[in-house]
Parts: sequence; C-alpha cells; structure tokens
Amino acid sequence: MAGFLKVLFRNLLEGPSTDPFPLVPETFTPDRLRGRVVVDADLCMGCGICKYVCVAGAINITKREDSHTITIWHNACCRCAACRQYCPMKAISLVPDWHSAHPQEEKYHVLEQKTIPYQPCAVCGKMMRTVPSATLKKLYVNNHDVDLEHVRSICPSCRQLEDARRSAGLPPAAPEAPAVEQ
Amino acid sequence: MDTLLGILHMCIFPGGIFALVIGFFFKGLDRRVEARLQRRVGPPLIQPWLDTAKLLTKETLIPKTACTQAFLLAPVVGFAGMAVCAAFIPVPGVFDGLSNMGDLLVLFYLLPIPAIAMMMGGSASSSPFGAVGFSREMIIMLAYETPLLMILLSVAMLVGKSMSGGDWGAEFSLLKIVEWQQVNGSLGYNPVMIPAFIAYLIFLPGTMGVAPFDIPEAETEVVEGPLLEYGGPLLALFHVGSALKTFVVLGLGVAMFFPGTIGDFWLVNLIWFVVKCLVLMLISLTVVKSATGRYRIDQAFRFFILVPTMLALCSLLLVWLI
Amino acid sequence: MALDDLLKKNSVRSPWLFRINAGSCNGCDVELATTALIPRYDVERLGCRYCGSPRHADIVLITGPLTTRIRDQVLRVWNEIPEPKVTVAVGICPISGGVFREGYSIDGPLDRYIPIDVNVPGCPPRPQAILEAVALGLKIWKKKLGLEG
Repeated sequence: MAGFLKVLFRNLLEGPSTDPFPLVPETFTPDRLRGRVVVDADLCMGCGICKYVCVAGAINITKREDSHTITIWHNACCRCAACRQYCPMKAISLVPDWHSAHPQEEKYHVLEQKTIPYQPCAVCGKMMRTVPSATLKKLYVNNHDVDLEHVRSICPSCRQLEDARRSAGLPPAAPEAPAVEQ
Repeated sequence: MDTLLGILHMCIFPGGIFALVIGFFFKGLDRRVEARLQRRVGPPLIQPWLDTAKLLTKETLIPKTACTQAFLLAPVVGFAGMAVCAAFIPVPGVFDGLSNMGDLLVLFYLLPIPAIAMMMGGSASSSPFGAVGFSREMIIMLAYETPLLMILLSVAMLVGKSMSGGDWGAEFSLLKIVEWQQVNGSLGYNPVMIPAFIAYLIFLPGTMGVAPFDIPEAETEVVEGPLLEYGGPLLALFHVGSALKTFVVLGLGVAMFFPGTIGDFWLVNLIWFVVKCLVLMLISLTVVKSATGRYRIDQAFRFFILVPTMLALCSLLLVWLI
Repeated sequence: MALDDLLKKNSVRSPWLFRINAGSCNGCDVELATTALIPRYDVERLGCRYCGSPRHADIVLITGPLTTRIRDQVLRVWNEIPEPKVTVAVGICPISGGVFREGYSIDGPLDRYIPIDVNVPGCPPRPQAILEAVALGLKIWKKKLGLEG
C-alpha cells in the first residue's frame, strides 16, 4: 500500500520520461539499427546471391546486355540483413533510417533501385561489369607484375587468354586490334 | 415561474452547462494527472471536449438485431437523469439545491440512472458482450448501492438526531444537512462519520466505473461491454452523462462531508467548492486508478460487501448508539 | 456550418486507435502495445486512446498477412468501423505479404480487400515509425473530412 504510493509520489516529482518525438523532428536512433537497405552501385556485381538468400523475396536483379538493375522493395524487406551477410562484395548495407511510413499511393515507389552500366572489353569489345579496383587489388595481391588497370579493362575470357600468353612468354594481345568484327 | 427556474437550474447552473464544464475539466485533469503519475505527458486538458467533438462528426451505426428504440433512448436517459441530478447538488454559499425536502432520497434513486441506462443500452444492443457487460454492471451496482444507502442513512440520522434534540430522527434534506454542518462543524471531521467517509471514497471509483472497478466496461475482457455497439453521437452522450455524474457524485460527497464556506462572496465559495471536489477526485479516483489493476467481478462484489458496507454499517451503528 | 467546421477541425485531435490482428506473429502487436503503454512513447499525448470496440475507432491499425482463415472476420470487423476512418497497415505482412508471401494459407496482401491509407513497413516497425504513421493518418483523415485539399 505505502509502496505504490511512494512510487507514485516519486513519479510525480520526477516528471514525464516521454520522448517528445512526433512533436519535434529528432529522436534517439541506435547506430546499428537495421532500418533500410542500401546498395552500393560501385560494388554490386549482380551475382544474385542476395536474391537467393532473401527470406521475403524483396530483391530482384534484372540483367540486360549492357547493364543490370538491382531492386529492393522496402515494403517486402523484413530487415533480416541476410543479404548484407552473404554479399561477397559487401555492396549491401543497412542504414538506421526508420522513417518508413508513407501513404498508399507511394506503396510501389519505396524502392532501392540501382542500375549498374557495363563497359566494353578493351580487347574483344564484349559488354562486361568492370571489377572495382579495390577488389582487384585484393585478388592480385601476390601478383606484382600484373598491370591492374589493364586487367580491369578486359573481360574474364580475354583475361584467361592474356594469362595463357603470359605463361607461354608471348606478348600481350594488342588492344588496338579487337578480335570482334564490327 | 418555479418550474421555469427549476428547468433553468437543470440546464445552466448547477446542472447542465456548469456541471458539464466542471465534469469535462475534471475528466481532462484526471487523465493528465494519471499520466503524470505514470511518468507520461498525457493528453491536453481539453481532451474530453475534443473527444466529444470527434464523436459528433462520426456516423451512427445501429445494429440490425438491436431493439432500436431502447438502444437510442438509453444514452438520453442516462444523460437526462444526471442533468436533473446535478440540479439537486447544493453548492454551499452559492446555490441551495433545487428541492429542500428529502432530496437525499431523490438523489439515491437518481444516482443509479446512468448505470441503468448503460444496462438498458447493453441489453438492447443484442451483442453477447453487451449482455455480459449488463450482468456485470448489475452485480457491481448492487454491490455499491448498499454502502451508499448506509452512508446516506448515517448522515441523515446523525443530523436528524441532533436537530430533534437527541431523539430518534432523520433529516433527508441536503440543504438542512449543509446548514447544520456550517453551524456544528463538518461531518468529515466527526470521528463517528470517518468510516462512512472512507466508505464513500471507496464507493466513488465503483460508481464511476474506473479501475479497479471498471469490470463492466473492461475493454480487454468484454470489449467495453454495454458501450460496445455505441458509436458517434450516442457514445458522446454517454460520455457527457459520465462527466455530469463525476460532478454529481463529487458534489454530493463535498456537500455531505465538507460543506464549509470561506467568506460571503459567491465566486470564492464556488471556487472553493470546485477545489474540494477536485481534491476528492484526485484522492479517490486518480491515484487509485493509476496504481491498480482490475478486480474480477466476484472479488469486487466481495470487496464491496466486506469493506465499504462494513465501514458504513459501523458509522450507522455508532450514530444509532451515541 | 461554422459549428460543423469547428467540430471537424477539432475532431482530428482525438484519434482513437483500434487494432486488428489479421494473423500476425504478434511482433507488430507488441510494438503497438509499446507505443501506447510505456511512458517513453506516450501515444495519449496526441489524444489517442486504444479502444476495445470497433465502433469507437477512428484509426485502424492492421497487422498480419491476412490468412485465409481470418479473412472474413477481419473484413467484418473492418466494416463495423464508422466512417470516416483511416486504415494503417503496420508491418510488411499486410502490405506485401512479407516473409509469408505466396504461402498456401495467405490471402493477402491486404489491399486486395481493404482500401489502405497509410503503410508503415518494418518487421516490426519502430514505435516511433508507428507514431509517424499515426501522424500521417491524421493528415489523411483531415483530407477525408474535406479540410485540406
């Protein structure tokens, strides 16, 4: 009996502990809150592992001849961060932006959509996704004799040929003479 | 002329508009203080007015299987009963009450009208939850009317015995009770009446239907019971009736136990009356409401029969013996 | 007319909330209880109140992916709510089906059956996001009353 009166009296003295949020714009947000998925267009290779692991089927990847588009629909995303976990390029991250309320008209417009354009191969001219320099540096960390900028500009099959030529001691294929007919 | 004056008293002061303003102010303050006690901010003070405004703009739905007349009439009955009731409350130093004869008994008969209206509405709504709410309302009403009768009787007998010079007697005029107390000291300070006053403090949450006695309108158990099918203006009328009832029961408590006045100026006395009502409400309704859960109906019934009835009986016996 | 406008203008300051569980996992329901019950996100200061009866409701918060078993009951309760009402879909389940999408027992998304006004995705959404959705719902309610174009 006296216990709850004491608690009530203390509450009365201490005043409200309410967060003034909807009346003022800012509120407390944890740094690691899983709020919204963002894709880094510089890193995404379009491998599709995120689409494969997505629990809610919120991710779609459309591949075209000269580009690919990764689309994440926030209205289906359950913020489980499995895509972030499995992305080999660490291209997907979750930002602590939880302002997700939107009117019904915008239902199909709350998207994270990135289109990644392809570059033509310097040797054969085939459209290909250029590997980011940082990744390439990591891949060729023990091969100091390779010109990374050159490797970056050619497609995987051309890279194989290049490698074979180098092993055989032949000069590299001339970039001026593409092997594909115009 | 008297009739006209009576109607005026029922409509403007102290019934009707005045009681409504005070009742809504009390309800808003009640919610605000309750929020503060729970370390929240709470709604603005005018929230009851806003709620009523909102309910008036909503559409009215009447269940297909309901008894339409009774369903529509119930909130009106509750509201009208309380508006009349408020006119009987004497505001010491300002207003003498509408009737000077036996109004304590009239009040005793009028006070259960909102509960009866709620039962009527609940049973007319043809909803099973309404029926459960009806039976619960009935049980709790029987439980809290018993101590109320004993409290009223002990007050009436104490004053009546004193006025008739120690003989057997009972005074049922609220005005005479108030006047007697202004001469002989308030009943709330009388040791004989303290058990009755405590019983009245317990009766208040029971009759107002707030925790821990909000069993008939328990929203988590019987989805607001008798009020389930009401919406829009009809529900607003129930809320207005409840606000009037707040004023009536608190005013009755002040008139019976602490009717003292300060000075002769009517405005000061009016404010003093409102302040006393407010203190009574904070003690008996707000603090209890913000700290307790809900009783089961059988627990509430047993509690009412054991504690307030025994306390009131105690007072009654003391008055009878002394 | 002026009184009518006054009532309407003030009515949006008293939104009463009602929740319908359309087969939710209770995650969003817990979050809804959080916005109402704990002092930190006191929803009452907006004038809100959780009401038990659909007849008293103004803002309906629907959680869950609308399972086939509960569809008819949800529609029935939703139709009991008097106009004007604002429907808020809480969590990704009522909006798109969420992780249950295309399940054999799921009849959603909800907007196949009920016109939704506000979506607040999340699994579950933060209490603050729900408060934001209620605030957005108030704007839509105003629009429905014809106060703002």
